Amino acid sequence: MKNIKILIMILALGVLGMIWTKASNSSDALTPEEIVRACYTHFYYAGNDMKARILMKLVDKGGQERIRDLTMLRKNYAEGGDQKYFMYFHKPADVKDTTFMVYKYINKDDDRWLFIPAINLVKRIAANDKYSSFVGSDFTYEDVSGRKPDEDNHTLLRKEQLNGKNCFVVESIPKAPLEYTKRISWIDETNFLPLKEEFYDKQNEFYREFQAQELKDINGILTITRRVMKNIKTGHRTEVAFQEVEYNVGIGDDIFSERYLRRPPLEWIR
Amino acid sequence: MIKRIFGFSVEHPKLIILLTLIGTCFFLWQFPKIKIDTDPKHMLPTTSPVRVYNDEVDRLFSLHTDTIVLGISNKEGIINTNTLKKIALITQSVLKVKGVITQDVLSLSTVNDVIVKEDGLEVRPLLDKIPETKDELGIMRKVLYDNPMLVDRFISKDGKTTAIYIPIEPTANGKAIADLIRKIVKEVGPPEAYHLAGDPIARDTFGAQMFMQMGLFSPISGMIMCIALFLMFRNFTLVFTNMGVAMISIFWSLGLLIGMGFPVHIMSSMMPVFLMAISTDTVHIFNEFYFRFREVKDKRRAVLETMNSIASPVFYSDLTTAVGFASLATGAIVPVKVFGLFVAFGTFVILLMSYTFVPAILMVMKESAIQKALKREDTKQDKVQAGWLVKLGSLSLSKRSAILKINLILIVFSVIGISRIHVNNNMVSWFKAKSEIRRSDKILNKELGGTSLAYFVLDSDKDDFIKEPSTLRYIEALQRQLEQNPLVGKTTSVADYVKHINRVLHQNDPKFEVIPESKDEIAQYLFLMEMSARPNDLNNVVDYPFKRANIWVQLKSWDAGVMHKLIQAVQKYTLNHPLPEAKFKPAGIAYFNMVWNDEVLWGMISSFLASLVLVLGLLIFEYRSLKWGILSFIPLLTTIVIIYGMVGWIGKDFDMPISVLSTLSLGMAIDFAIHFVSRFKQRYKEAPNLEEALVWTVGRPGKGIMRNAILFALGFAVMMFASLTPYITVGIFMALIMALSSIATLIYLPALIVNFKKSLSFNERK
Repeated sequence: MKNIKILIMILALGVLGMIWTKASNSSDALTPEEIVRACYTHFYYAGNDMKARILMKLVDKGGQERIRDLTMLRKNYAEGGDQKYFMYFHKPADVKDTTFMVYKYINKDDDRWLFIPAINLVKRIAANDKYSSFVGSDFTYEDVSGRKPDEDNHTLLRKEQLNGKNCFVVESIPKAPLEYTKRISWIDETNFLPLKEEFYDKQNEFYREFQAQELKDINGILTITRRVMKNIKTGHRTEVAFQEVEYNVGIGDDIFSERYLRRPPLEWIR
Repeated sequence: MIKRIFGFSVEHPKLIILLTLIGTCFFLWQFPKIKIDTDPKHMLPTTSPVRVYNDEVDRLFSLHTDTIVLGISNKEGIINTNTLKKIALITQSVLKVKGVITQDVLSLSTVNDVIVKEDGLEVRPLLDKIPETKDELGIMRKVLYDNPMLVDRFISKDGKTTAIYIPIEPTANGKAIADLIRKIVKEVGPPEAYHLAGDPIARDTFGAQMFMQMGLFSPISGMIMCIALFLMFRNFTLVFTNMGVAMISIFWSLGLLIGMGFPVHIMSSMMPVFLMAISTDTVHIFNEFYFRFREVKDKRRAVLETMNSIASPVFYSDLTTAVGFASLATGAIVPVKVFGLFVAFGTFVILLMSYTFVPAILMVMKESAIQKALKREDTKQDKVQAGWLVKLGSLSLSKRSAILKINLILIVFSVIGISRIHVNNNMVSWFKAKSEIRRSDKILNKELGGTSLAYFVLDSDKDDFIKEPSTLRYIEALQRQLEQNPLVGKTTSVADYVKHINRVLHQNDPKFEVIPESKDEIAQYLFLMEMSARPNDLNNVVDYPFKRANIWVQLKSWDAGVMHKLIQAVQKYTLNHPLPEAKFKPAGIAYFNMVWNDEVLWGMISSFLASLVLVLGLLIFEYRSLKWGILSFIPLLTTIVIIYGMVGWIGKDFDMPISVLSTLSLGMAIDFAIHFVSRFKQRYKEAPNLEEALVWTVGRPGKGIMRNAILFALGFAVMMFASLTPYITVGIFMALIMALSSIATLIYLPALIVNFKKSLSFNERK
């Protein structure tokens, strides 16, 4: 009898083991490309549209700060596809009323427009440099609006826990030469949000780090509400807080126009 | 006490030699721990105000003190597809070099520009797309010349030269990085010419070459001195002993320095040469021994008598030398202190060896060998030389009034020369005019804004003070004022950026190349810049709260004097145009070099003056007589005054090498005088005939002095073939110092003694 009990236990363990391997196989079944694509859509395309008050703190090595206080409106036109952004700056005080609009295209360079209130001028800015700094912060334009997954080659390095969360650790190497030569991302297995990213420069040295510091559930969408980008080499960092985040609020297409650049839509930016 | 020491050495010569060898092994054992520091910058401690402030400015404006400039020029002009491709390629490769601060490398292919297009603005790195067609090249040319901030920095006025500015980590070695860059441009190849310049290259190349040349020339000088010694004494054991004492003192003092954990700095790397110079003092022992041995024909007695008569002058000449060098420690510059103290230690080692090792060697020498050597010396040169010296001695007595007059005239003439001395330091000029560093620097300074860099930091207490139109206009006016100096090649400030954006936003209309009227407008332009340029472009010229602004001043000369003039210009301007809310402070590498020049050089000069006073005090104490003290001080003083006078007259800058050199004269000229005066007094006590005693002293200890001087001048003459100008200077001036101090001792001193015989007393102790 004893033997049978042991036999059953062994069998049960075997079955459990098989189920467990199968379960982990199912997530293993995701290719690194699929993981990164899922991260891209979950992080940059949440909701059909989004409205948020964004507080950025730029801190230099010596601890001196500059503030960026803006309202951002974003509208998706296809999941993983074109997007439009509208930004209104509340602070610094002397740039108040400055507005900035980006049409992000999936197959060509962005279009950007800037309204300069002091001289009442809207300028179209053609910038083919996605790697330049976003309003002087440590984030590049690409960090703000996302990098297309098929621009890099991805490898799943390992799976590991980060702050108690199971993560995929994916290495992405740009196909064309870029400001950085390698990016390693810690992507949460359950919600596909990037919890940490490390960037390596041309000397193959770790120089920039992204960290998600606070996540909140907003209308059923898990959102990174506090994030920081740190430049390891310069000691400069940018802390970003997303406040008053709302999804699927029904932002109209007309908002993203030169007319509203000059006369910001008060109902959206308050 | 002293008698007991050399008495013991004479009794137990083998034991003494063994002990010396053991001691030497112990110090040699420290050598593997050697740490080398070739950076002259480290002469100033990290806590010195200029380093602290420069670091603060670097932090405030995200700057890097050490920047290498790579010039690229093409006789046909650099705006052609091939050259531009090469610039992009080189930049890419440079970014990969370890130690290079990647994010702040500035070249045509990394710097962003805002370009006016029909349907708006375009922000992109200048060389984002390499122009291929004639039209595209034309646009590129226009873009470059339309932006005054690029002209003279990224493109020369004639369009033939561009530059890549490569900041490096403070810990990186400028020479090592420069070597890698040289390899990169070699692979890219002609027809373009490449020029590497910048302070870190000069500094680290100088440091490295200095060590190399020290390693090369110390043994060569040593060898030449060996040959000269052999020709003088005709005995290998003596040659070996003499050089042995030098080596022992070098090993002991360097071993102690290394063992105590000090790095071997460029200053301490000169210790071997100095100690070799000081150790030639032992020549006096051999010189006297040869005379004595000939007289008494008994080795043991000759050694003891030699030591008896020479112990005191050797003691005092080494003591004054040691005290002279030790007094360098009164200054504030740490490597100079270390150098002074360890040379002093080495001098004591030489003194110890003179009492122990030297007599011990003399004791173990075979008498027959000495006799042989004496014979050879006798027949070859002794009579000729001694005869010549005796004649010289009597001449200095008979023509003494003429000698004194000539000397007085020389001194007056020299003092006038000293008043013309120009204290300056320019590290680039330490390289020969034909060296790569000098040529590159010259070319880049001619074609572009200048390789040296100064900052003037406007410092206010008010946030956003810089955004005021009046502040920007003030900065702009000050820039124009600074540019009046012909050695200022280019100035750049936040005012330039604001003006450029103003113009770009107004259809590139040159009319708008002015400071806007309203603060908000300026603030929004700066904001636009933050949205479009590399963040550091703006950070380099304003701080975070917009309290401070930084004016970049590119200089075409590394002379410390230029910076002095600029500081005066700013002071004058701010005095005539008061700006009560703010003040201007200088910073940057040019300012650092100026302070370095002032502090290190003046530090050395004041330590040197202190050591002169100390040595004088010591001499007075030694002779227990003010007058004799002053008298034996005169050869040293004369030598220094004449040398400095010459420096003034020929218009050579009084720089670091010259000031190091003057400390060496301390070690030599004073020895000669002490030997002369002590031996003269001994002789006079034995046979009180003034003139006879003087002529004897010139003929006998004088021979030792002449031998010492010749030995030394020869050893250093080799340095005239060095590749660094400071060594050539040292080589030439050393020969001069030797000639001057021996002449001053052998001709001037006897004349003085006779002239002032009435006021000098000859019957004190000693």
